[in-house]
Amino acid sequence: MTRTPLRPLARILRAREEGDNPDAIERENLRRRHEAMRDKLRLRAEGRLLVLSLFFVSAFAMVGLRMGHLAASEPSEPRSASAGHFIATQRADILDRNGRILATNLLTHSLYAQPPQMIDKARAARELVAIFPDLDEQRLLRQFSGERKFIWIKRKISPEQMQQVHDIGDPGLMFGPREMRLYPNGRLAAHVLGGAGFGREGVHSAEIVGVAGVEKTFDEFLRDPANAGAPLQLSIDLTIQSAARPVLWGGMKLMNAKAASMVLMDAHTGEVISLVSLPDFDPNKRPAPPTSGQASDSPLFNHAVQGVYELGSTFKSFTAAQALEDGLAQVDTLIDTKGPLVWGRYKIRDSHRMPPKMSLADMIVKSSNVGSARVAQEIGAERQKDFLRNLGLLEPSPIELVEARSVRPLFPSNWSEISAMTISYGHGVSVSPLHLAAAYATLLNGGRKVSPTILRTARAEPGPRVLSPEVSIAMRGILRDVVRHGTATMGEVPGYNVAGKTGTADKPNPVGGYYEDRVISTFASAFPAENPRYVLVVTLDEPEETSGLEPRRTAGWTAVPVAAEIIRRTAPLLGLRPAIEPDLVNAVSLTSN
Amino acid sequence: MSYLDYNLRTTPTGLRKILHLNWALVLLICAVASAGFLMLYSVAGGSLTPWAEPQMKRFAAGMILMFIVAMIPLWFWRTMAVPAYLGSLVLLLAVEFFGETRMGAQRWVDLGFMRLQPSELTKITLVMMLAAYYDWLDIKKTSHPFWVALPVVLILLPTFLVIKQPDLGTSLLLVVGGGITMFVAGVHWLYFTVVTGLGAGLVTAVFTSRGTPWQLLKDYQYRRIDTFLDPSQDPLGAGYHITQSKIALGSGGWTGRGFMQGTQSRLNFLPEKQTDFIFTTLAEEFGFVGGFTLLSLYALIEIFCITSALRNRDRFGAILTLGIGATFFLFFAVNMSMVMGLAPVVGVPLPLVSYGGSAMLVLLGAFGLVQSAHVHRPRGSV
Repeated sequence: MTRTPLRPLARILRAREEGDNPDAIERENLRRRHEAMRDKLRLRAEGRLLVLSLFFVSAFAMVGLRMGHLAASEPSEPRSASAGHFIATQRADILDRNGRILATNLLTHSLYAQPPQMIDKARAARELVAIFPDLDEQRLLRQFSGERKFIWIKRKISPEQMQQVHDIGDPGLMFGPREMRLYPNGRLAAHVLGGAGFGREGVHSAEIVGVAGVEKTFDEFLRDPANAGAPLQLSIDLTIQSAARPVLWGGMKLMNAKAASMVLMDAHTGEVISLVSLPDFDPNKRPAPPTSGQASDSPLFNHAVQGVYELGSTFKSFTAAQALEDGLAQVDTLIDTKGPLVWGRYKIRDSHRMPPKMSLADMIVKSSNVGSARVAQEIGAERQKDFLRNLGLLEPSPIELVEARSVRPLFPSNWSEISAMTISYGHGVSVSPLHLAAAYATLLNGGRKVSPTILRTARAEPGPRVLSPEVSIAMRGILRDVVRHGTATMGEVPGYNVAGKTGTADKPNPVGGYYEDRVISTFASAFPAENPRYVLVVTLDEPEETSGLEPRRTAGWTAVPVAAEIIRRTAPLLGLRPAIEPDLVNAVSLTSN
Repeated sequence: MSYLDYNLRTTPTGLRKILHLNWALVLLICAVASAGFLMLYSVAGGSLTPWAEPQMKRFAAGMILMFIVAMIPLWFWRTMAVPAYLGSLVLLLAVEFFGETRMGAQRWVDLGFMRLQPSELTKITLVMMLAAYYDWLDIKKTSHPFWVALPVVLILLPTFLVIKQPDLGTSLLLVVGGGITMFVAGVHWLYFTVVTGLGAGLVTAVFTSRGTPWQLLKDYQYRRIDTFLDPSQDPLGAGYHITQSKIALGSGGWTGRGFMQGTQSRLNFLPEKQTDFIFTTLAEEFGFVGGFTLLSLYALIEIFCITSALRNRDRFGAILTLGIGATFFLFFAVNMSMVMGLAPVVGVPLPLVSYGGSAMLVLLGAFGLVQSAHVHRPRGSV
């Protein structure tokens, strides 16, 4: 910026010569400068105002245009008349593996009131209470006379109740159609299905949302209109489920157990044919989740999936299988089972006297902790961990139940040698019965990894190989012997050659240590033994068999007979023919020729 | 100097000031307020009670206030700016601690003779404060970072207190109104570009991060924003007002259903029909013609404010007039946009029309200031 000097020397001098006041020149120049500055500012201010006016004008234009647009628009019907219009109503059915309905929808009505249109509020309240005794007359009357213009009275009413309410004849009482989820089989498969509740609710419909089980896992699928109502088919067999549940229930009562669960799985595909957890609930009236106490005491708790337990001696099968697989032992290799085995400050002992040396097969049949701990020492911690991981025992189960996702098996972060020894007979690792079933399926189906599923799938390709077929066949023989003359003789079901392994594990005390008199007793079994098609895991929580002189808690006395009864009932339903046992079972071993 | 010249070239004194008031503005204000009385009469089902009559009384009181304010020389208001600003901050704090809670928000403070909403008052005192500040500040320093930060603090202080009430609409008005005042005062445009850019950037960042692993808000917060921005997702809840008012506007058509014939508003479909959503009644009963006429009246008031400020060589008077004009503009622009579903519902009344005492008194007082600036503007040769 070029500045005019305030006192240009030439003019000052000239002014002095002419006798004028030179200060006047300075004042004059100062005034000019100020005016120039002010003009500039003024220009800028006007520019600003122009911008502001443009902003105002565009806002006016927008509001005006919108006003015109709205004025020209056809007013659509008041939305309240079709408020539920876009709440998706059709929820797909859920079927069992044979196409029978496990969950479907039923049209019911909800009851609501619009007090401004009510004629005789007191009478309406009185008669409503006569129909629905759980309502409170005073409270209803208060609501009717209050400010509110809309009141829900009942979410679901039966056609009979609807007729009765209709007969009251008050125009302010209204019905809104809505679909509800119906589980026609009640408690059967409760934990698999989970349940559904209402999501967004309108007067004319309500959205059904899954809250647990497959209803929640496949919520999106079941609601997706693109599926055009295509049902969701599960691997569950309703017939098996309804045959097995009462048996398990009876077994639980007979053995005075607190809870029980069973998983019946196809040994090759991993399809869960039947899954029961007791106590259970009716998904039509799903109870509220408990606010106090242990979650596992609630009937909502799925013991087969959510319950992670130390499953005890059932793990010895994995130890033996790994020893065979790694070539560390043969079926008839003698194992040192002389107890107690002292390792540092730990002492491993057996529950009853054992001969000082046993074959690997006998070690399983007689269930020797000391023997399997010695075998585990041979295997080593790293290899054991890898093997259990390959069997899927260290990851959350991939089954399609929401509850399974959050259930992680528990195992020591530091897998030390002593951990390896206790884990070899099932202490130190906690898994769910479902994990165990999948691992046994892998162990006995020829060695192919099985991942459990609740969906009916025609899964053609078998999973990756975990064990060689020879080891799998040898394990069938050993586990068959457990039932024939080992710890699970009560598991014998004539015609269906059951193979299996018992497990009795002391329950950990939340305060620390283990309870003396509380156990989890498990029987992991497969049938028929010569080529297992199904794996069944039965778990009883705190069983106590009291027919003898003193209470018996071991699996052989508790879980095994229950499992045998379940197999007896379900095997024919599964289409298995009773067969005379081929005498080859024991002859098929690695050393037979 | 002739008498005429004298009148035009000197600042009037005494009662002669009345002649120099802008009577056109007074007429415009009366016209807008009368539209409000008609609507309040109509939504009450053709009755002066409970809304139209108190509103008229308040309007009369407000007009007297406006004349008094207009008569007082502008220099007095310039000196009053700081005390008024501090006073409204104290009132906002008082609301925080002793305020009454109505409809889930704590906004009112009881002064004995009336209940005042200090947040309404703050809209004007903030503009006064900013105008006085820029009048006092050396023009050359206007864009100096420190001297820009100071008014920003002046704006954010009451905004923070208002947000806590919580009153999103008013705090938004405070920020934007204050910003516009700073803009017309001549703060360098770069500041505004940066602030707008940052705001837009933040909003884009928040929304583009949605669904990605690094998303900035929780899912439920996004859903809330969704319903806030598009209430039609929840037609019976958050979107109820908008849905109903759109229907009302649509059923009004071009010429409307006629006075007292509106069904949407009179049949109680619309809650808050006498306050924030009164425009729907107008649009339903008088149609596009009625609505656009009201909009034009507002536009004329704005035009008056801008021309008055242009002619005013007093910096305080000019900025004050523009700031008040901008605040007034934001009032009706935000209200109309929200009623027509252009903007989210934030709870801003329609100025001079909606039922409500504080807003009416404060606005008329503000127009008193505009008149005072107009009457007492410097005259004489340029």
